[in-house]
Amino acid sequence: MKDYIRVCDVEKYYGNASNVTKAIDRVSFTVAQGEFVGIMGASGSGKTTLLNMMSTIDRVTAGHIWYGDTDIAEMKENDLAEFRKENLGFVFQDYNLLDTLTIEENIILAMTLRREGKKGIQRKCDEMLRLLGIADIRGKFPYQVSGGQKQRCACARALVNHPRLILADEPTGALDSRSAQTLLETFTGMNQKMQATILMVTHDAFSASYCGRILFLKDGRIFHELVRGSKKRRDFLNEILDVLALTGGEVSDAG
Amino acid sequence: MLGKLAYRNMRRSARDYLVYFLTMTVVTALMFAFNSLIFTKEIEELFDMAGLMMALVGLATFFIVLIVAWLINYMVRFMLEKRSQEFGIYLLIGMKKKEIARLYIRENALLGIGAFLMGMVLGVFLQQVILAVLYSMIQIRYNIHMEFNASCILMTAGCFWGCYVLALLRSGRRFRKMNIHDLMEAQKKNEEIKESHEQLKKWLFPVSLLFLGAFAMFIFLGGIQGMGSVLFFLVGLVLVIYLFYIGLSSFIVCYVRRGGNGIYRGQNLFLLRQFSSKLKTMSFTMGTLTALFTVAFLGCTVALMFSDYQNKLLETKFPFDVQVYSGDVKDDFADEMAVIEESAKVLDAFSYHIYADIPESGRADQVNVWLLTHLKVFGDMYRNQDGSPDLKKIEKDSADGGFYCRYDTYMKLSDYNHLREMLGYKAVLLKEGEYLIHIKERIREETGTLHEDILIEGDEGALDFAGYYSEPFSQDGHNGGDYVIVVPDSAVAALTPYYSELAVDIEGTAPLNLGKRLDELTEPEDWEEEEDNSVAGHKWMAGNSCCGSDTIIVMSVTNMVRDNLIPEAKYMLSALIFPCFYIGLVFLCVALTVLSVHQLSDSARYKFRYAVLGKLGMNRREIGRVILKQLAAYYLCPVFLACVIGGSVSVFMSGKFIFYTGIHTAVINYFGLSFLLFFGIYVLYFITTYVSFKRNVEVNERHW
Repeated sequence: MKDYIRVCDVEKYYGNASNVTKAIDRVSFTVAQGEFVGIMGASGSGKTTLLNMMSTIDRVTAGHIWYGDTDIAEMKENDLAEFRKENLGFVFQDYNLLDTLTIEENIILAMTLRREGKKGIQRKCDEMLRLLGIADIRGKFPYQVSGGQKQRCACARALVNHPRLILADEPTGALDSRSAQTLLETFTGMNQKMQATILMVTHDAFSASYCGRILFLKDGRIFHELVRGSKKRRDFLNEILDVLALTGGEVSDAG
Repeated sequence: MLGKLAYRNMRRSARDYLVYFLTMTVVTALMFAFNSLIFTKEIEELFDMAGLMMALVGLATFFIVLIVAWLINYMVRFMLEKRSQEFGIYLLIGMKKKEIARLYIRENALLGIGAFLMGMVLGVFLQQVILAVLYSMIQIRYNIHMEFNASCILMTAGCFWGCYVLALLRSGRRFRKMNIHDLMEAQKKNEEIKESHEQLKKWLFPVSLLFLGAFAMFIFLGGIQGMGSVLFFLVGLVLVIYLFYIGLSSFIVCYVRRGGNGIYRGQNLFLLRQFSSKLKTMSFTMGTLTALFTVAFLGCTVALMFSDYQNKLLETKFPFDVQVYSGDVKDDFADEMAVIEESAKVLDAFSYHIYADIPESGRADQVNVWLLTHLKVFGDMYRNQDGSPDLKKIEKDSADGGFYCRYDTYMKLSDYNHLREMLGYKAVLLKEGEYLIHIKERIREETGTLHEDILIEGDEGALDFAGYYSEPFSQDGHNGGDYVIVVPDSAVAALTPYYSELAVDIEGTAPLNLGKRLDELTEPEDWEEEEDNSVAGHKWMAGNSCCGSDTIIVMSVTNMVRDNLIPEAKYMLSALIFPCFYIGLVFLCVALTVLSVHQLSDSARYKFRYAVLGKLGMNRREIGRVILKQLAAYYLCPVFLACVIGGSVSVFMSGKFIFYTGIHTAVINYFGLSFLLFFGIYVLYFITTYVSFKRNVEVNERHW
């Protein structure tokens, strides 16, 4: 199968000529369709920068990011917006729901921006609400529901347009462990039942253990890769913790 | 350290609230400039009526101080709320409440001093402009000079600091009541959108609209008469202004909830929700803004009305250089001529009589009666219940100098033509057996069948009507009140001289005190004699003085010296025009500032909303358009309401004004002009807000 997303020799520098910080240093990897990939690393290892570049929010200093045959590193600002609309879905730590809209309306808005018809929008929205188990809170405002529910709403919004890739930046960061677990199961479900391709950034080993493959980032470089294969999740978690222990001092952080 | 913190914070809030800062600067400048109208020495010496300007500017200042105090209080509270988290942190690290309050007050004081100083600098320039305008209005040469009147500066400073102290004292009380938890939470507060009874509240919207429609209808059809209905509509308007927004917000919420088709198109859903939630949390502020806009519109309209009058009509009120009235038909005007000749070179002096048809013919006041019962100005004032003229009332009112003299006023053709020549009009030919009527242009339009309903008799029977003339002819009690009937010289034999007039044409401009000197000739005792018709050999005719039917602005004086009266009248009008503009400008600026600051602080606080739109795939241009639409709706809503209310009231007012003064202007003109003027300032604020709003949001995008 042809590689779905290819990241080739991507570099990202910050600062000026006298003081350059390499946030990302020649990173290359691929993501296949229907994969659930995790990116792990300590704070400042460049994982969020990498995600931002993949999500077209930030631009690469050098290198290419291919979505199929499209290189987003070469695209213009306006085309990027269009590309985001058609190909990407976002789930972020702080939910990023619009506080003036109800849960249902937040999902509808994502579709109205793509100029779909009323009937289609309503049908898809109902389906999504049902799939993510938030149909009973559809009329509530974000401030009236729990963090987990908000995050599921964000997932629904990300999924509803069937994007090529869902980008999740620490999606469980603000959730309690029970809600986090529910959400991660939702992710797995989305991945397995709807064949959604998911790229998740996390520093939490427990969250990462739900992924199919994990890339470990350190100082802007990929220094390790773990594949779950047919392993049990608990074994995979232990493997992850081992890798983190190797990098030193990060285990407690990942706890 | 605290001083440094206060200074830094002040700099930051000045940047964050630039619009507020600028408005305070402009308001200070306006205060200073308009206050200097009160304290200008030259003017005080020049006019007896300087007190009027003082009183009206003072009155305007009173309202302005109230509104500016509201603005400061509002902004201080607003900033406090926006920064509550920061204050919470200060408390957390061990600062005392008192210290924080002092810090905050110090910051605001610094901001105020900055605005005040800048405002004074700007005010000195503005003062020059305003004085130059005033002086050119009253036709006095203005030499640019800085006038630093201590009392003017003191008054401005007093007003300014009065507002500040009031506002800051209140915020100190707020500090004492707060605790850390509240402060930390305060910022999250108005993100809550409470929706309750929306279905019920939504009816406020159509009801408000209906009320506005009814209000406009009533005002145009003249249905608002009497205290009861005025009170009803006033209370209704205030309610509507405040309830309209609650209704509109609920109306939108219901529409969105119902899933109306509109929400499924583009960014409508986002825009509607933004707008309704903003209205919901701010309905009271929006109502106040609407009231401010309405007052500003009305102030501006009134100012424009009077300045239009000043430009168009005032000159026509005084066609002769000097004109003197005397109730004594034997007066030869020797005293007056001596005074006039002393002060100017007389080119032509002409004294003549106005006549009346006194013998009991029953038609002695036929024209007066016709006008009093037919002109719209009088309505039913002089009619009996059955519509016939109320002769008793007419006789009573005209006996001691009312709108018209007791008897109709006549003039000899030769006198008439001489006066026409003095004014540079073409002479009029009148055949034997004909008469004409010289009438005010305003009344000319209403004469209708006047010439058919009256019968003018000459020495050889009835005269034929030859036509109306309506050039400016000094008809506010001099050449008749409103009208004079001109008859052939031969026909005058049957008439009685009624009062005397003197018209003088002088070379150049009359000296400033001529009017006063002429007035001094008429000793107070002379006026006493009028009480008794036979005293001192003067034969005074009953009811031989009048002032015509002008209302609103009445120019009835015995000794009319044009070059003295026009500046005086203009000054009097300026005393109305300037405070009206003053109020209009300040109210507009205050209202716009509140709108702008609200939007700008929102743009900083709710950046993430636009970031989310970006993630959902909107590009920068599209987000820019969304912001534009959102701002437009937010800015236009209160103006729209103010336009409807202010518009109908001012169109009504201008209609009345045009009707009573006879000025030739379209009814919509004054409102249209003030609307344009406002729109200019409006657009300025709008663009500033839009640009900073976009910048705020985009800065965020880059760092996101």
